[in-house]
Amino acid sequence: MTLLRPRLLSAGNGLKPGTRNNRWTQLFLFLLIGLAFWIGAFLIFYRVLIYFQSVQNFGDILAMKLLSMMIITFFTLLLFSSIINTLSHLYLSRDLPLLYSLPVDIRDIFFSRWFSSAFDSSWIVVAFSLPVFLSYGLVYQAGAAFYLAALTAIVCMCLMASAVSSLLVLLGAALLPAGKIRTFFVILGVLLVVLLVIVLRMIRPEQLVNPDSFASAVLYLNSMQALSLPYLPTTWVTDTVRFALKNNWTYSIFNLALSASCVFSMIFINGMAASAIYSRGFSRAQTTANRLSSPVKFRGHSWEGLLNFLSRSAKAFAIKEIRSFFRDSTQWPQLFLICALIVVYLYNFSVLPLNRAPIKTVYLQNVFSFLNVGLAAFVLSAIAARFVFPAVSIEGEAFWIIQSAPVSMKTFLWIKFFLYYIPLLILSEILIVASNLLLGVTPFMMFLSVLTIFFLVPAVVALAVGLGACYPDFKSENPALSVTSFGGMLFMLLSFGLIALVIILEAGPVYKIFMARMHGYAFSWIQILWFVFSFTFALFLCVFAVLYPMRLGAINLLKR
Amino acid sequence: MIELKNLTKDYGTTLAVNRLSLDVAAGEIYGFIGPNGAGKTTTIRMMGGIIEPTAGSITIAGIDLRKDPVAAKKIIGFVPDRPFLYEKLTGMEFLKFIADLYSVEAPYLFRRSEELLKQFALWEWADEIIEAYSHGMKQRLIIVAALLHDPKVMIIDEPMVGLDPEAVSMVKDILKGLAAQNVTIFVSTHTLSLAEDLCDRIGVIHKGTLLAQGSVSDLNLAAKTGEARLEEVFLTLVREA
Repeated sequence: MTLLRPRLLSAGNGLKPGTRNNRWTQLFLFLLIGLAFWIGAFLIFYRVLIYFQSVQNFGDILAMKLLSMMIITFFTLLLFSSIINTLSHLYLSRDLPLLYSLPVDIRDIFFSRWFSSAFDSSWIVVAFSLPVFLSYGLVYQAGAAFYLAALTAIVCMCLMASAVSSLLVLLGAALLPAGKIRTFFVILGVLLVVLLVIVLRMIRPEQLVNPDSFASAVLYLNSMQALSLPYLPTTWVTDTVRFALKNNWTYSIFNLALSASCVFSMIFINGMAASAIYSRGFSRAQTTANRLSSPVKFRGHSWEGLLNFLSRSAKAFAIKEIRSFFRDSTQWPQLFLICALIVVYLYNFSVLPLNRAPIKTVYLQNVFSFLNVGLAAFVLSAIAARFVFPAVSIEGEAFWIIQSAPVSMKTFLWIKFFLYYIPLLILSEILIVASNLLLGVTPFMMFLSVLTIFFLVPAVVALAVGLGACYPDFKSENPALSVTSFGGMLFMLLSFGLIALVIILEAGPVYKIFMARMHGYAFSWIQILWFVFSFTFALFLCVFAVLYPMRLGAINLLKR
Repeated sequence: MIELKNLTKDYGTTLAVNRLSLDVAAGEIYGFIGPNGAGKTTTIRMMGGIIEPTAGSITIAGIDLRKDPVAAKKIIGFVPDRPFLYEKLTGMEFLKFIADLYSVEAPYLFRRSEELLKQFALWEWADEIIEAYSHGMKQRLIIVAALLHDPKVMIIDEPMVGLDPEAVSMVKDILKGLAAQNVTIFVSTHTLSLAEDLCDRIGVIHKGTLLAQGSVSDLNLAAKTGEARLEEVFLTLVREA
């Protein structure tokens, strides 16, 4: 507990009134956004479960299948997040050398770090599993004991995931070659999640709500039984909740006991492993990470030559940024995740059952195409939040180099802007064009989507760079986390707001133009004026979102 | 070469620097000493263009830092007190990055960086990632980077922190050599023996105000300490302030 005190006190100090880093506003914003997601998740699950109840004979099986899939997903996410968190808490935190210099038992250091790590990697899963269980509880009219059992089961699952991860990390750090430890675990964690995402997509869970697509009831029931292995911790957790829902307490408590005993055994094994190998692994982890590859050269030319079209200082920044990014193995997970996200995104469009829809397909294809612009822009916002918003903070304590260099803050920010704008524009346009081709939309919709994205990308990127400069965190151990700060949240809200406004402004005119083309009627003058106003205002919003945040960002950096 | 006029920095809760005025001539080594929290680093950071003053002006070689910061920074070599660098770059890559920002031509860069890296015993480490450098090596690399574009003015905050005795002696010789070549050096330090040994003039700052400045004998006169060593002069000035 003593070793956890600095963390608890730091958190408490941040909330004290009058301190410089007062976090009440931040906390309030977090709670507001969290509550919105929480209510949204509850409503979705509640409606889905009510629908399942209406499916004769299969309703119960479907609900349990959904529960099992949710728990497997939660467990995999927990494993991924625990591996990354445990590695960081046990081997990379800046305060570890201080802790190691103190007269404290190695097991105490290990358990204080493990506990922090388990909390950090689990709280969000626990928080967002609650609306799921609440909806199950309400639909099945369960008593208070059900909620207690579900909460205990989910806490056990979090501790199991954390204990498995820490054991893996402890063994890996002791056995792997020094300098390769971070890279190995980062890749392992990423592979786990990519695998989960792709498997979940490929098994097409949406088919479970469409029993007609199965050749026979036997096949359907077989698919329901998949992934229920009795030795998997996820099965124990699922069964605890499942039996508690049906008031079968003997089996529920038996499964809960299995989970709890597994947790205690794992903690005991972790303690033994920590005594034996934690110290050795920590010493090895102090070695600097080796470079995975030597510099890439083609016939004596380095890749840097590809950037010769840039001005000298812009090229210098671009090279610095690219090198720092690819040499930092902690950046890779997100890169892999984005690749998985894009594959899943495009795959979803390829399996859309448009031909089974009751509405005319051409109309539906184009409605989807229009909605796709918004969806792609939201994906872009999420990517910008992760990579572009921290672009200024990522300079870290070395920001003095920029401040003392003969480069104006304005130039510095615009270089940052273009560094992210070009790749994100290419990525977004590929997403839009590929998904439109899969949908088979009209040339008008293709043109409009490409054009809208062309103007939205710079707006979102500039908003991220500008707000990132207004709310930088140069002292963070992990600048990527700045997205969870007040500034990061503000960026997400403003970015979503901007996208929604642009989409709303375009929606009316697009609908009218589309219907006129389908039915062959002409527009009135008022309608034409309305179209011009809507599109011009959308363009104005995008231009404003580019210029104003960049200006604010430069002013703020100068004042620091 | 350096002119500070009524320089003030008010952080709202703290008045870090209060109407500071001083001049440093070309080729002069000016030492800036003071207790912790006196305003040394704040002054140095304002002179390096890192933070903006609340009031007053800074002129470097006739260029107003507020009006034309880019031109002024081109002739400054800045060395901060803590060696924060881009850890994922190699030493040579970092120097090339700096050279691009200061428009140092490629052939000169490679000749000059080799010369400086060898001088600072970093040549063998030039292609290693900075993350693997020790604290002292990072500090030496920062000094190399500051010298790369042959600055007319060097602004240095605590130059000897983290350096081994050999490097301390080398840096002292280099600074003296630069001053002989008419480079102006403004150096803040806690090492009073260094200030005594190296500087032509010394300024004593306390609570953001310049208490006295001049040679060690000038300071002795101001403190009425006879022919005492700088340490005693400094303690007397600060105690009586």
